[in-house]
Amino acid sequence: MITYARETTLLTWRGLRAITRVPERLLDVTIQPVVFILLFLYVFGAAIQVHGISYKDFLFPGIIAQSLAFGIMGTGTATANDMREGVVDRFRSMPVGRLSIISGQVMGQLCEQLLGLVITVVLGLILGWRPSFDLGHGLELFGLVALSMLAFTWMGVYVGMVVRSSDAVQGVGFIVIFPLTFMAGTFVPIAKMDLIPRTIGDWDPISAFVATLRKLTENYPSSGSWPLDHPELAMLIWSLVLLGLFVPLALRRFNKGLAS
Amino acid sequence: MNDLAIEATGLTKLFGDFKAVDNLDLQVPKGTVVSLLGPNGAGKTTTVRMLATLLRPDSGRAKVNGYDVVREAGAVRRTTSLTGQFAALDPNLTCRENLTLIARLRGMDRATASARADTLLERFDATEFASRLIKQVSGGERRRVDLAASLIEQPELLVLDEPTTGLDPRSRQVVWTTVRELVAEGITLLLTTQYLEEADALADRIVLIDHGREIAAGTPAELKAQVGEQRIDVIAADTPAFEQLSKALADQGFETTLMPELRRISVAAPNEVLDLTRVSQAVAATGIAIDEIALRRPTLDDAFIALTGHAAESTDNQADDQAKELVA
Ligand SMILES: Nc1ncnc2c1ncn2[C@@H]1O[C@H](COP(=O)(O)OP(=O)(O)OP(=O)(O)O)[C@@H](O)[C@H]1O
Ligand SMILES: [Mg+2]
Repeated sequence: MITYARETTLLTWRGLRAITRVPERLLDVTIQPVVFILLFLYVFGAAIQVHGISYKDFLFPGIIAQSLAFGIMGTGTATANDMREGVVDRFRSMPVGRLSIISGQVMGQLCEQLLGLVITVVLGLILGWRPSFDLGHGLELFGLVALSMLAFTWMGVYVGMVVRSSDAVQGVGFIVIFPLTFMAGTFVPIAKMDLIPRTIGDWDPISAFVATLRKLTENYPSSGSWPLDHPELAMLIWSLVLLGLFVPLALRRFNKGLAS
Repeated sequence: MNDLAIEATGLTKLFGDFKAVDNLDLQVPKGTVVSLLGPNGAGKTTTVRMLATLLRPDSGRAKVNGYDVVREAGAVRRTTSLTGQFAALDPNLTCRENLTLIARLRGMDRATASARADTLLERFDATEFASRLIKQVSGGERRRVDLAASLIEQPELLVLDEPTTGLDPRSRQVVWTTVRELVAEGITLLLTTQYLEEADALADRIVLIDHGREIAAGTPAELKAQVGEQRIDVIAADTPAFEQLSKALADQGFETTLMPELRRISVAAPNEVLDLTRVSQAVAATGIAIDEIALRRPTLDDAFIALTGHAAESTDNQADDQAKELVA
């Protein structure tokens, strides 16, 4: 256990070092939310009316959830690249725990995503977003966001190990995650969507995420399906399901050896 | 007490239907240097990765330092170091940071790790660029740091996968010298290479492989003996001359081996100078232009041609390495 913590810390440090050495990597995490904020706030925003809330306040929780979901792709790409670096082979040929190696990867990526999140939130605050919550809701928010980020990161790390190239991650991400984030009520209310996207949106895990953030930061409710009526619980369940799925998958994949 | 550092039997690795390593037996006695010699795609890296627990064999078994590579992988990893074909270092860390990270992962505290890194940097003549990022040092410099990284803790068995491919002659000398020093210290070494002279220079025993299979094995001297005695090389002036001359010599009953790319006709010379005279006269009689004629001792190149029926294909190395990196 002590060895595990020690090894994971050392390997996490390796990942963080990469951020200071290649700060451009942070651009990947931040450019997306910035573009979407500007696009939706100033291009589409004026034409979108949401009942009972200013569009700015409606938008920011959505953007945050979306950028965290996009984090799956970022993590996947980074992992696909990282795993092809010979250094991971070096670790695997050393007496270092498999779980430590992969945890180090997860923690490094998590920190990178977290930095992206902070930048997005700060940008929101600068542009006039004023979330409000008390201490209890703040803690709940923190716990849920941390847990779901962990789940997304494990998922991203798994995807990064399975695919052969980082381009493939981008491709899959664009076809699957991109539309899911749009149907999740990120930019417009789900209730106004057509039948098919509405049904998908009602059950989309990202929807629960968006709804939770909106509820806890703006006290703005979502409704239409069980997960939207109970977003915090749904978000908790989704995160645990994703973790339960992707942690063992990633470990098994890693033990089997990559790309062979 | 088992005195074999590596004992592999029937080692096989499949990639899909493709047999990259095919029923390979390998024995490396402790304290010796064994070289796996083979052209591109022979299965050297695949073999080495199985022995270093990075790939699981599809069949066969291997024991490294007395431990099974599948069931006792942890013990194998503790006693073995691998320097892979491509540098296994973090490009975004400095040379020194890479070494200290590996030392810390091996359980050293900060001070010990840093001292160890400095010792190795000095040994490998790398102090000068120690604080540069790995991605900012040259291939040969990176190779040296990579080698240093494998020696953070002196392993019982060191595995080097093509340690000098892509190095200039001077860096290659540095590696060779280090290898000899390590051997003098009693380390066991498995070394892959596609350079025949490298195996000849460093190894006690050579295992020649191609298409994943062993083709021949023995000491460098034994392998050479299998090929026969001295040879006479005739280099024709141009390609038409090469063709005419090879035909003419064959017609006169000389036993020849042809290397058209080099316009070289190699003739067996069991009677040495006597044969040289005969061949010279035969060549002169045809009146065909040649660049060179010489008597020489057999090299491992001859061994390769004699045993596999083709030359070692080590010409287009770099392109091949790049292609590998892309698919890996
Ligand atoms: N992951 C893989 N998937 C499919 N085929 C592979 C894989 N790795 C290696 N091969 C194939 O297996 C064969 C042996 O490869 P290997 O890398 O062991 O050769 P090598 O002797 O090390 O060659 P080189 O001198 O070029 O490094 C090659 O034909 C190669 O294309
Ligand atoms: Mg190789």
